[in-house]
Amino acid sequence: MTAASGTRPSKVVQKRVGGRQEALAGYALIAVPMLLFLVLNIGSILYAAFISVWRWNVRTGPQQFLGLDNYVNALKDPIFQSAVTNTIYYTVIWVPLTMALGLFLAVIVNQKIRGKTFFRGAFYFPSIASSAAISTIWIFILNPFGLFNEVRGVLGLNPVFSLLGYEANQDWLGDYHTAMNGVIILNAWTTSGTFMIFYLASLQAIPHEVYEAAAIDGAGAWDTFRRVTFPLLRPGHFFVATVGIIGGLQLFDQAVQIGNVDGAPANSLMTLVLYLYNAAFKRVQYGYAAAIGVVLFVIIFSATLIQRRIFEGREPTTA
Amino acid sequence: MTDENENRPQQPEGDQPRAFDPALASPIIDAAPGRVGTRALATVAALPAPVAQPIVAPVGDTGHVWRTRLAYFFLIGYALLMFVPFAWTVITSFKTLEDSVRLTLIPQPFTTAAWDYALFQLHPNVAQMFFNSFIVAIAVTLTNVVLGSVAGYAFARLRFPGRNFLFLLVLATLMIPDQLRMLPIYIITNALGLGKGPLQLASIVLVLAISATSVFLLRQYFLTIPKDLEEAARIDGASHWTTFLRVMLPLASPAIAAVTILQFQGTWNGFFWPFVLIRDQALWTLPLGLTQFRLVGGFGTNWPPLMATVVMATLPILVLYMFFQRYFVEGIAASGVKG
Repeated sequence: MTAASGTRPSKVVQKRVGGRQEALAGYALIAVPMLLFLVLNIGSILYAAFISVWRWNVRTGPQQFLGLDNYVNALKDPIFQSAVTNTIYYTVIWVPLTMALGLFLAVIVNQKIRGKTFFRGAFYFPSIASSAAISTIWIFILNPFGLFNEVRGVLGLNPVFSLLGYEANQDWLGDYHTAMNGVIILNAWTTSGTFMIFYLASLQAIPHEVYEAAAIDGAGAWDTFRRVTFPLLRPGHFFVATVGIIGGLQLFDQAVQIGNVDGAPANSLMTLVLYLYNAAFKRVQYGYAAAIGVVLFVIIFSATLIQRRIFEGREPTTA
Repeated sequence: MTDENENRPQQPEGDQPRAFDPALASPIIDAAPGRVGTRALATVAALPAPVAQPIVAPVGDTGHVWRTRLAYFFLIGYALLMFVPFAWTVITSFKTLEDSVRLTLIPQPFTTAAWDYALFQLHPNVAQMFFNSFIVAIAVTLTNVVLGSVAGYAFARLRFPGRNFLFLLVLATLMIPDQLRMLPIYIITNALGLGKGPLQLASIVLVLAISATSVFLLRQYFLTIPKDLEEAARIDGASHWTTFLRVMLPLASPAIAAVTILQFQGTWNGFFWPFVLIRDQALWTLPLGLTQFRLVGGFGTNWPPLMATVVMATLPILVLYMFFQRYFVEGIAASGVKG
């Protein structure tokens, strides 16, 4: 309080000194985190882009400038093509499936029912476990002599499955016809609770009056959902779809945990990211791997932008 | 999973005080700089408005009863679908190998042999991997809390040239997929000498030391703290550092708790970076060990010890979840979803 009296410097000067101090303090506080962000994130992508135009020697670094050759070779590489196909197949099936499950759960759990806290907790539960734990559990359950095949035998469902062409001891994750679909179901099981949480958040953002109006107009439950709730969930759809597509295009953990670095069986689990890993650490072609990484980044980035365009028209809640 | 641990974003009817809810912190929306394509900002769009009303109960008596029954049918069925695989895991871990392929709920004979094998006889054993996972998760949590709160405070409260640009840069890192960083980071950490011995664990800590999500969550929380408190401290002659440490940091403890849970869980469960950066078997974390035992470790179908390892890998997170459920939900809302 002593500074308040008599001979203190003019306000302007004080402010300027204080401002400089403040700026210095600011830079000091962000220095370490900013350095890490700059080197490990921004620096990394520039470095990856740099590596991608070289034939890269693991020990000595850049060896021969290749320009866009790594990119061209990737586009012509049949395994890369099947990695792209697999990744897109996974994303195109998994995202809508999990969105539908999540929305369905959210709508049910959002009603006035007893124990909804318990159910929300239960549905979200698989999302907290590690991908390695979940994959191991499902490899166990879906193995030829696992719980799934046993239970369908006991329930007398085998005739149905044999109509579809599956034997009693079908190796779901070991047969290239079914492995990717197995991963899709596995991940839908894990993630439906997460998507439910996202949808709950946007369900509760829908104003009360809208439903009152629908009720006055005599709309039934299904009509209300189809014509009122579903369209009003647009921001929610956008968010969940974005998160889902970004996650789907980066499928790696389950693919490698089930199919190892070659995406076995028969490349059926070879995803883009897995191929990137494979190229870098199995075939040790750094330049080529970096090029795949850049392509992946471009795909993810454009997917996000395209989606933003599509949803932009009527998106009331974003700035 | 009690009623006290009500998930946050689906705001209940009650008006209990909120410890911390980034979703409801209005400054997030005010401060969201334009249309940056980040998950964190997209979240904001999707999160609930501050006042969320319950949905009107459907009208019509018989229809209502029928629908409620149907709802319970689905709810219970789906909940069973969620729990059965985990229950089967626990049951199997107490079985013998021969018994593990049988459809019996009670292990016969009941044995802890698989646990003994997994915990002490494997190489590396589960106790060792548990320790490795724990060290890495704790270290990453600490660095995120420390670096996240200093940076979050600076971005929220201190004025300096370039602040907005630098913050945008931080948010933009959310758009960079880890896979693109994989090779450069592998090369950089090796060049730094972090590719050998126990330092491999340090390389993981370095990569995960600070995430944009931590900075973002803490910054948003600091923005919600009234300026008067800080100004009072400043008038009393406290430096920026003292104000931060003595006044702001204690007030931000709910946000710090959220970051702690988010980072601990994420790192404990993390698979990608350990898979890329750890070569020594002795340094495997639990998720890495689980995968490697099956892929290269030669006991791909020795189910009981594998299931015991799964239980050990999941237990700490389950305990955290039961006590801090709402922070988990905040965490996913802020960071999106794993692939």
